[in-house]
Amino acid sequence: MKKVCQLLLIISCGWINAQWEGETANVMKPGRREVGFFVPFKMGLSNGSEISINKFLIMPSVSYKTEMSQFKKWQRAYRLQIAYPTMAMRWLQSPIGMKLGEPDMFALISPEFTIPQMLSVYGEMIGSTGTPDAGQLTLSAGAGIGINGKKLPERSTIDLPIIYPRFSVYHNKILFKVGGKYLRQFKERLSYKMDYDMYLMPGGDGRYAFEQNGLLVWTKSNRFRILLGYKLIAGEYPFGSQAHLFPFMDFQFGW
Amino acid sequence: MLKHFTQTILFLFFGFVISSCDPIVNEFNDVEAAIIYRANSITEFAAKDTIKVMTWNIRFGVARLRFFGDGCGDRVIINKSEVYKALEDVANKIKLEDPDIILFQEVDVQSKKTAYIDQAQWLLDNTDFNYGAYASMWESQIILADGLGRVNTGNLILSKWKLENAERHQLPLRGDQDALTQYFYLRRNVLKATVAMPGKPFIAVNTHLTAFATDDTKQKHINGFKTILDAIVAEGQNFVAGGDLNEIPPNASIEDYCLEDQCDGESFHTSDESYHKEASFFGLEITWLEPFYKKYQPAIPLNVYGANESDHYTHSVDKKLTLDRKLDYLWTNTSWLNGVTHQEAVKLSDHIPISAKWVVK
Repeated sequence: MKKVCQLLLIISCGWINAQWEGETANVMKPGRREVGFFVPFKMGLSNGSEISINKFLIMPSVSYKTEMSQFKKWQRAYRLQIAYPTMAMRWLQSPIGMKLGEPDMFALISPEFTIPQMLSVYGEMIGSTGTPDAGQLTLSAGAGIGINGKKLPERSTIDLPIIYPRFSVYHNKILFKVGGKYLRQFKERLSYKMDYDMYLMPGGDGRYAFEQNGLLVWTKSNRFRILLGYKLIAGEYPFGSQAHLFPFMDFQFGW
Repeated sequence: MLKHFTQTILFLFFGFVISSCDPIVNEFNDVEAAIIYRANSITEFAAKDTIKVMTWNIRFGVARLRFFGDGCGDRVIINKSEVYKALEDVANKIKLEDPDIILFQEVDVQSKKTAYIDQAQWLLDNTDFNYGAYASMWESQIILADGLGRVNTGNLILSKWKLENAERHQLPLRGDQDALTQYFYLRRNVLKATVAMPGKPFIAVNTHLTAFATDDTKQKHINGFKTILDAIVAEGQNFVAGGDLNEIPPNASIEDYCLEDQCDGESFHTSDESYHKEASFFGLEITWLEPFYKKYQPAIPLNVYGANESDHYTHSVDKKLTLDRKLDYLWTNTSWLNGVTHQEAVKLSDHIPISAKWVVK
């Protein structure tokens, strides 16, 4: 067990490069664009802010991040996000339709439920200090609210890691999230990154979720990088607590 | 081809997404220890010369609600209050009949469809039983159909006396399914435990055999169940056994229930539809229980059943309250007294409990 933990720790010394700062309090340069398999499309704007859009149009979301004044050694920014999950949740009631895989093969939400029109608004403060080559720490804290046209049926939850906390705001109407990231460039093309996020879901059957990434990042240029590592998730669900460990890989592109 | 390709891609995707230290589906060993339960408060019971045994498929505590999976309904996720109401009705019936051993089938312990209520623990804590042994027949972190989600349902033995050496014996998987469906499908089993009644231990055996297989899987299940009973007798022990065998008696007068069981929009035995509905035609398997009747003692003997079949029916599908077939049985290698089919409990499940008194030897 000790060896497994040591191995995870070594792997968790993930790695990153300074060109890609979308998750820190820094904003992207005007006109720069980034996209990855697991991250949304982002674009730097000319007024010291950036915009990101979920590339999966079935669950549209848009967020806006802008710089704030520096506080001592901390760069600061705030981010606002609006998401519309109704189409995605309705699709998950019958992803490939009744005809192909009757009855409702791969449905994650029972077709018996009516999914109402819903919207969520999430805002967070982000602070970063340091530089990637000397080590950069980013802390964030935010809160979200869910606005539902009608009550969402209680058992329309998807009780799976990653998904459950992100949809919880539509059931509980409120969500709190705190997080931290540390990244350090240790060679010209190699960096490591460790981050965690804690979701607090008051009022839900599952009250918390803890997600932690450890990533090694190989940056070919400011146009392409690969992230490789793991994602550890421990959380509470309507059935009780459970932990999951996933391998993680992402390809990200910038231009 | 496209269908299978799409299913495989989606399976791999979801498999990756929800992989963890625990497998997505518990595939079970051929023989493994059952899960032991204990009531919150224990009441000591002395040994008896005659004990009362009951078997009951309680349909995971949803009574006659129109669940989509085993009838013509469209309900998938049942409310917590509905499940508790059904369980309370089951518990009240049990307290009224006061069996010493009960063999339950279709008990949910952690299923989204029944609000994640641990029904094994609830039944222990709300009846006079002290100990339980549970063997899952369907345990998956997620079932990728109809929003069923997480499932853990199976067979349960409850006893007033301690249960020891509780074992889950795996029965063959259905042979008429593709690999993907089979992986996520039910894994039927036989649950066997020693009832440590002071000075007079005996074996309790519980099973729930396949209903929907269209090949020889049910025959294999019946043989597997009997093999376990034969081994108990060969070791010089006595047993009480039972369960939902999903099979009719050899002298049943009706073999085809396709028309009785058809849902709205279905049609069977018309000029265009000559095939049978799954689980509704018994013509080719009517003799499969004969070896049990020849070797062991049923709670309801064949001649008693044959004299008035309808008095001993234990099942009707969906919301139909007119019982129309016998699928549930109690067996022993010694003898029963006073076998009763409790048809007054018709609203509490789609199966009827059977009880009988067993003279301890």
